[in-house]
Amino acid sequence: MIRDRLYHDLTNRGITGWIVAALLVWFYIALYFTENLTPWAQKVGLSSKWDLYGVLYTVVILVGGIAMIRKYGHNRYQVVRTAVVMFVQVVFAFSIPMMLKALHQPEYYLSYFWPLKFDYMNPEYLFRQPWPFVVYTLAASLVIVPLLAALFGKRWYCSWVCGCGGLANTMGEPWRHLSDKSSAAWKFEKVSIYSVLCISLALTGLLFYSWFTKSKAPEVVQFQTWYGLIVGSILSGAVGTGLYPLGGTRVWCRFFCPMAALLGITQRAGKRFHIRVKEDMCISCGLCSKYCEMGIDVRAYAQRNESFTRASCVGCGICSEVCPRGVLRLENQSGLVQISGGR
Amino acid sequence: MHLVIVGNGVAGITAAMAVRAKDPQAEITIISGESEYFFSRTALMYAYMDIMQRRDLEPYERKVFREQRLTLRKDWVVDLDAGARQLRTQGGATLSYDKLLLATGSRGRRAPWERDLEGVVRFVSLQDLDACERLTPGTRRAVVAGGGLIGVELVECLVHHRVPVTFLVREPSYWPAALSPEEGEMVAAHIRAQGVDLRLGTEVASMEGEGKVAGITTTAGEAIACQMVGVTIGVEPNVEWLRSVKTPPDLNRGVLTDQAFRTSLPDVFAAGDVAEVTGRIEPLWYAAKRQGEAAALSMMGERVEYAPPAYYNSAKFFHLEWTCAGETKGPGRFRKLPGREASVRVIERDGMAVGFSMLGTRWNHRVLVKWVEQRLRVDDVMKRLSEAQYDVEFGRVAL
Repeated sequence: MIRDRLYHDLTNRGITGWIVAALLVWFYIALYFTENLTPWAQKVGLSSKWDLYGVLYTVVILVGGIAMIRKYGHNRYQVVRTAVVMFVQVVFAFSIPMMLKALHQPEYYLSYFWPLKFDYMNPEYLFRQPWPFVVYTLAASLVIVPLLAALFGKRWYCSWVCGCGGLANTMGEPWRHLSDKSSAAWKFEKVSIYSVLCISLALTGLLFYSWFTKSKAPEVVQFQTWYGLIVGSILSGAVGTGLYPLGGTRVWCRFFCPMAALLGITQRAGKRFHIRVKEDMCISCGLCSKYCEMGIDVRAYAQRNESFTRASCVGCGICSEVCPRGVLRLENQSGLVQISGGR
Repeated sequence: MHLVIVGNGVAGITAAMAVRAKDPQAEITIISGESEYFFSRTALMYAYMDIMQRRDLEPYERKVFREQRLTLRKDWVVDLDAGARQLRTQGGATLSYDKLLLATGSRGRRAPWERDLEGVVRFVSLQDLDACERLTPGTRRAVVAGGGLIGVELVECLVHHRVPVTFLVREPSYWPAALSPEEGEMVAAHIRAQGVDLRLGTEVASMEGEGKVAGITTTAGEAIACQMVGVTIGVEPNVEWLRSVKTPPDLNRGVLTDQAFRTSLPDVFAAGDVAEVTGRIEPLWYAAKRQGEAAALSMMGERVEYAPPAYYNSAKFFHLEWTCAGETKGPGRFRKLPGREASVRVIERDGMAVGFSMLGTRWNHRVLVKWVEQRLRVDDVMKRLSEAQYDVEFGRVAL
């Protein structure tokens, strides 16, 4: 069947996969670095290319989300999670900012937090906003977000709320298996993601220092510009989404996102969220590893009968879904030892 | 010490790694003619369905074998001389061993009506996978004979490739070896709902074709034209090659061993599907793993008295998951769960729960096995059943 073959080609780094990747990268370059999309936005009655991007993003999440629910309709976790992703995108990442904009207010994206939304913790910006937003941002970024990650794992954000994860788990679903599972990729991930985290923490520190001392060195301004360009535009946009058909859907989340790094640390420290492995039932088929969008070799744990928490795990739950022997289960409990049954 | 392992399946590789963990010095060689690297036979179906690449089937990264200094040789062993402690391979090499582990697994059983025609396939080895993939594009209809777990996997692969399949099952109800008639009916309905032409109580009587398969005739007298015939009537220990070696170990259905996996030959052990351990063969992935681990200890001189734990298993028939623990046959309490393709069955004897067979939802076999071992009363078990449920979050099924 030609349709099956085309789909296989598109989702397994065939020619069509490369073409789609090239188009996506081209789209992100056009979006971030040119005004080529502005006339298109105006043609459909939108005021800027960013509004057009918002509309496209939301539509794609809704279409991908419906496909996702149809595919995994028998799995309540997937249905609930995907419904929440769609809801958050429509309400918090689209409707509210658009309404605020229509009312000539600043467009706040209430589902994005520092350090992913880096500017929200830039004191020059933050302390010029109305006080409820200041309180919301400080409380959410510094207390609520990490606290929830400690209690429920980073999944509550990365695969339930975040727009980047939302896109990955809806439109990106057909490419999730392309993530690199090698131990070399894991090594690279640890270096790259914590480097970005350190850089973003350092920059935030510098911005606060400059704000307190009321003297902003030109180097800090330059640092800020480069951070925005490399992390904000190239890594999260062009590389993160553009390379879906080549590197899988979570390239940004896994290797670069400073927020994922921070939540990963909290998830490990919280010791509550884990993937439980039912003992001596794994047949090492490897579907779990194959479908892990974060490139975790889940099979390696399952075949060792080892329940585990990995910092990178976003708790999408697909490993558990595809396991033909029902070995894996996402859980939120303290005390791994007590529940794994002992041996 | 030079340990040579014949067969790089889960029993052999598990044994090799267990020996390495305890003895950093031992020289360990693993020989297989099927594949250079250990791969997961249980995932053959996903490779056939193009969901996985060949390399994805390998449970360990290749560098693990270098790191653990496990020498891999791709060759078939053709002779065993226990007197000289030597093996001879098809490639002409002679290998000396201090300890030898036979872990050559299972092979697909041959059917009496079978003829050596192009288009006849089994679904056990990598070579079988190659053959299936080669034949699929030219197949307008396939017949799969034998309703075990491998049979239904092969059928699922063919359906995935949109090849029309006739699925012949000898028994009048589906897989009576483990399923009750009600469960068999549910599974049969599920298989039919995938567009499979499932015929219960029907076998192949004869096979037609010259050089290539052209069709089969069923025991009901019906002729079915087909280009591919899957023979999935079960597996048997892969011992044929041992019958013609210089010093064969004692064989029955498998290689006979004691509880420490020792065969009749000195320093020759057997584990996994090929081993008949005190008269019992356990052709299961988890059992092979367990046996490989225990055989490793035995080969290293530790005292081992292997006894299989309480039986449990699981399977997936297309989308329908199944878990069992303890006994699966005999009178019991069956309940179909309302509004779902799911059921629970508790097998009872003298008022006690002796086994479970759960279809369509997820269960923690550990808890079920524990209940069987504790000899709990069925009435109590029925009340506590939900403690063993293992469904996904938000997905807990009402019993």
